[in-house]
Amino acid sequence: MKRARTVALVVLAAALLAIWAFPVLWALLTSFKTERDVLAYPPTVIFTPTLRNYHDVLFGATSLLPNLLSSVIVAGVSTLLTLLLAIPAAYALARLDFPGKRTSGFYVLATQMLPPVGLIIPYYLVLQKIGGLDTYAGLIVIYLTFSLPFAIWLMVSYFEDIPHEMEEAALLDRAGRLRALWYVILPQARGGIAVTTIFVFLNAWNEFLFAVVLGGNRVRPVTVAMFNFISVEQTLWAKLAAGAMLAMAPVILLGLLAQRHIVKGLTVGAVKGGGRR
Amino acid sequence: MRKAVSDRAFALALFLPALVALIVTTTAPLVYLAWNSAMRIDLSMPWLGGFAGVDNYAKMGADPRFWNSLWLTLIYTVTTVVLQVTLGLSLALLVLRIPRGQAALRVAAILPLVLAPVVVGLFWRTLVLSPDVGLVDVVTRALGLGSHNWLGDPQLALISVIAIHTWQWTPLAFLVFLASLASLPPDVFEAARIDRASAWQRFVHITLPLMRPAIVIVVIMRTMIALSAFAAIFAATGGGPGTATEILNLYAYRTSFSELNLGYGAALAMVLLAITLVVSLLMFRVRRRR
Amino acid sequence: MKPDRSSRPTAPARRRMLKQTAALGAASLAAPYVLSSAHAQANADIAPYTAAKIDWRQVAGEEITVAVIPASYFDNLVTLAPTFEALTGVKVRFEKVPPGQIRQKAMLDLSSKTATYATSATDPMYYPLYVSNKWIDPLDRYLGDSKLTDPKWFDYDDIFKAWRDANSYEGKPYAVPYDGEVTVQVYRKDLYDAKGLKAADTLDEFLKNAAAINDPANRVYGMALRGFAGAGQNMYIYPSLFREFGGEWFRGRKIVVDSPEAVRALDWYVSAETKYAPPAVRNWNWPDIADAFSQGTLGCYIDAHSSASVLVNPEKSKVVGKIAFARWPKGPTGKRCTSIWNWGFPINAALSDKQKRATWLFIAWAASAETQARTSWKFAGPAKRSGLNRVSLWKSPGFIAMTTDIGPNFIDAALTSLEKDTDVDWRPRVPQWPAIGDTMATAIQAALVGQKKSKQALDEAQARIDQILKG
Repeated sequence: MKRARTVALVVLAAALLAIWAFPVLWALLTSFKTERDVLAYPPTVIFTPTLRNYHDVLFGATSLLPNLLSSVIVAGVSTLLTLLLAIPAAYALARLDFPGKRTSGFYVLATQMLPPVGLIIPYYLVLQKIGGLDTYAGLIVIYLTFSLPFAIWLMVSYFEDIPHEMEEAALLDRAGRLRALWYVILPQARGGIAVTTIFVFLNAWNEFLFAVVLGGNRVRPVTVAMFNFISVEQTLWAKLAAGAMLAMAPVILLGLLAQRHIVKGLTVGAVKGGGRR
Repeated sequence: MRKAVSDRAFALALFLPALVALIVTTTAPLVYLAWNSAMRIDLSMPWLGGFAGVDNYAKMGADPRFWNSLWLTLIYTVTTVVLQVTLGLSLALLVLRIPRGQAALRVAAILPLVLAPVVVGLFWRTLVLSPDVGLVDVVTRALGLGSHNWLGDPQLALISVIAIHTWQWTPLAFLVFLASLASLPPDVFEAARIDRASAWQRFVHITLPLMRPAIVIVVIMRTMIALSAFAAIFAATGGGPGTATEILNLYAYRTSFSELNLGYGAALAMVLLAITLVVSLLMFRVRRRR
Repeated sequence: MKPDRSSRPTAPARRRMLKQTAALGAASLAAPYVLSSAHAQANADIAPYTAAKIDWRQVAGEEITVAVIPASYFDNLVTLAPTFEALTGVKVRFEKVPPGQIRQKAMLDLSSKTATYATSATDPMYYPLYVSNKWIDPLDRYLGDSKLTDPKWFDYDDIFKAWRDANSYEGKPYAVPYDGEVTVQVYRKDLYDAKGLKAADTLDEFLKNAAAINDPANRVYGMALRGFAGAGQNMYIYPSLFREFGGEWFRGRKIVVDSPEAVRALDWYVSAETKYAPPAVRNWNWPDIADAFSQGTLGCYIDAHSSASVLVNPEKSKVVGKIAFARWPKGPTGKRCTSIWNWGFPINAALSDKQKRATWLFIAWAASAETQARTSWKFAGPAKRSGLNRVSLWKSPGFIAMTTDIGPNFIDAALTSLEKDTDVDWRPRVPQWPAIGDTMATAIQAALVGQKKSKQALDEAQARIDQILKG
């Protein structure tokens, strides 16, 4: 009886694995096919692999390497900037008191709700006026609009989870508030900071709409560049798959390496009275 | 007394930079958006300019496509959130019993989460839901259920985009619930088992209440995401066929960028903003009550 | 539990990174060498252009940015950019924008007068909109200015009249066609021959042919027409049917889309696709149709002649050598109606005078017979353009030689269509086209998927269009 149940569960787990992993696996498979094999029907699993697509996508005329660099710069710098601004702000919201705290807290929340659809045009016009179109600075600042509120609220819940006693102990130590923050509180929130970093980076890396409208030739993240394999005449599926793998590889790697952090961090604030941390 | 003032100064010093950054980057566009929504701006008919006041909003009331988009937004949001929570929780409960499979599943669960939604939408449109050669179609034909136009048939299209969204984000709920479940104190369950409570009773009376904070957080997070879902649907159906998957977000986009009616599009965006704000306020109030 | 090694890159990863960095470094060292040899090449190439009696270098030193879509016919032009720079001293930068976004980006630029794009590849249905907003300059000034155009060398009238007319509005030209296409029948000669069929001359014959070939059990369908919803997708084929059934877009000054002819045309479209096309066709755009045809699953389709390039690519196609071409079948009115699609280059009105002249020089260069030839049969790469803009080029030996292997009747069908079957008013040329095209596309798709009957879909479209036009 128990055996049967375990088997059933294992089958379920395997199915789940397949369902969640298959797009990435399929894209991986396709990226090694020739264009002809891609269109074959029924879809082939056995075929002669080729590295041509990766070669074209990395070193050919349509190389994605400059775009990968663009993505790294935009996502990396905006994440850094976001953390620098969000962590202190979140601590203040979570633990300290100051005039206008409730209203400004609500304001931060509200800005997260702004629909990107409505913001594109004003952003375009503003950036154009200050010469920020198709520049790294311009795009990075715009990315702040969606990553900053998100990061603040994520970090607030982590800070709220740190026991008061720890803070008070640090302060009692005559350590000074800044030092208390830096040497005691932040290390406690390390997990939360890791999770926030990952999610903010992820969102920035995967952004498409803002990147395509506000970027251009110079600043073209890989999510936008990938779509150039879909021309009006034909879609180069194999190349697109190779490009997609390149675009996804960094974040997949990041996700895999950090998945334990992500899981641990996601449960913060989700379980009351857990107490084991 | 002085400590209180310096306390507040310290707090403000930490908080202000972020606040200023946000005000600079969001207020100006927001004001511009609100202003546009009160104007008549249609690029395809430039001679029709001028102040419109609340005309754009009044027009919405009589616009069947608007109500359609509201309705679709409601269905989309509620369905995807409910599905994610139920599926995520059930899967987490089941997977809890196979400790050795958990590591592999956690890795697999990360994969959908890190993909760009626009890529996900495109991928599903071309490789999964294509009639005839798509994966789903191959499976349904093998099972004798026939071939269908998953994204081209109006009824099926909505189901398909809901499926896409659920596929991508259920792993998040799954991971959160799995971790939460793993951290529940076992002694409460022991006590219940000794008391001869059935599995279902244990679930309803112990597990669920203990999981409430986690469930609430997931519901809030996912609702926000569902309301602002754009890229995946855009890539998969563009809001079609017809208007079958045109949630409010997409309607505003199409009005502004395809029909070039910027005034009306801005008004639609403002309404979406208002809805999102109200919903999030309500949800946070629910959260705070516990 | 495994120790946490995530923080340090492993040895293989480091080695790979080093190799890639080395490759990048080598490539960047080689670049100047490659560029300078290209420069030398370019110098030798500008002779045919300098024959024109204009001063190509009159605005040397200017810089312009041109927006194009990712497509082989623009890629070819981009590779020739060094020639233009050597000729004029004007630096030209190309930006490739995905086709789904290029109109929006161009309009954002034009409407905000940011002058980011000196010119961009433009959809001919958008000129009424652009002109109403005064975003682009009329080109008669440039064509008539002897300092900017040598009429004998440029030979504006050599460009297909249909495309020149498509790019004009209210009597004035606003853009010069660069690359265009006509919609023609493309069919499997071998399958037709096997069944004793001939290329359809009327729409009825078209259906009969499709019925004869249609064999879904063996994965062969009789025909396919675009079904994907979009002003440039299903609303690219429907207007031809509409006109062939005798439809008129205007009744006086009112736009009418639900006339009896409109309904008949849509009914024909729906029934043909339902009976003889693959079920997926409702989502298909032309690359999907071309792909299906190249895999041997279609008997016939009607779409752009340039789709032939996919069909004769031995890497992807299984039907090389089995294709033939014909004009659109006649409708009940005896009319054939093909598309007038072309990508044209207008001039952004927000530019400075010098930049406008630089842009005009670019446009003249791109649309000149020499450049057209160089992106076509004289092109060194595999993708040679077939959508050339000039009558003389279509009749030239080089072009004929290049296209002989495509299939019987290719040039004849396309050229005759271009000269006889075009109709500038094939779609309503009004500033509100973007909204109207979108509304019609939605209606057509609703009918195609069986969500609504043709009349109902068109009636609803009419209601919405009336509302749009009221503003």
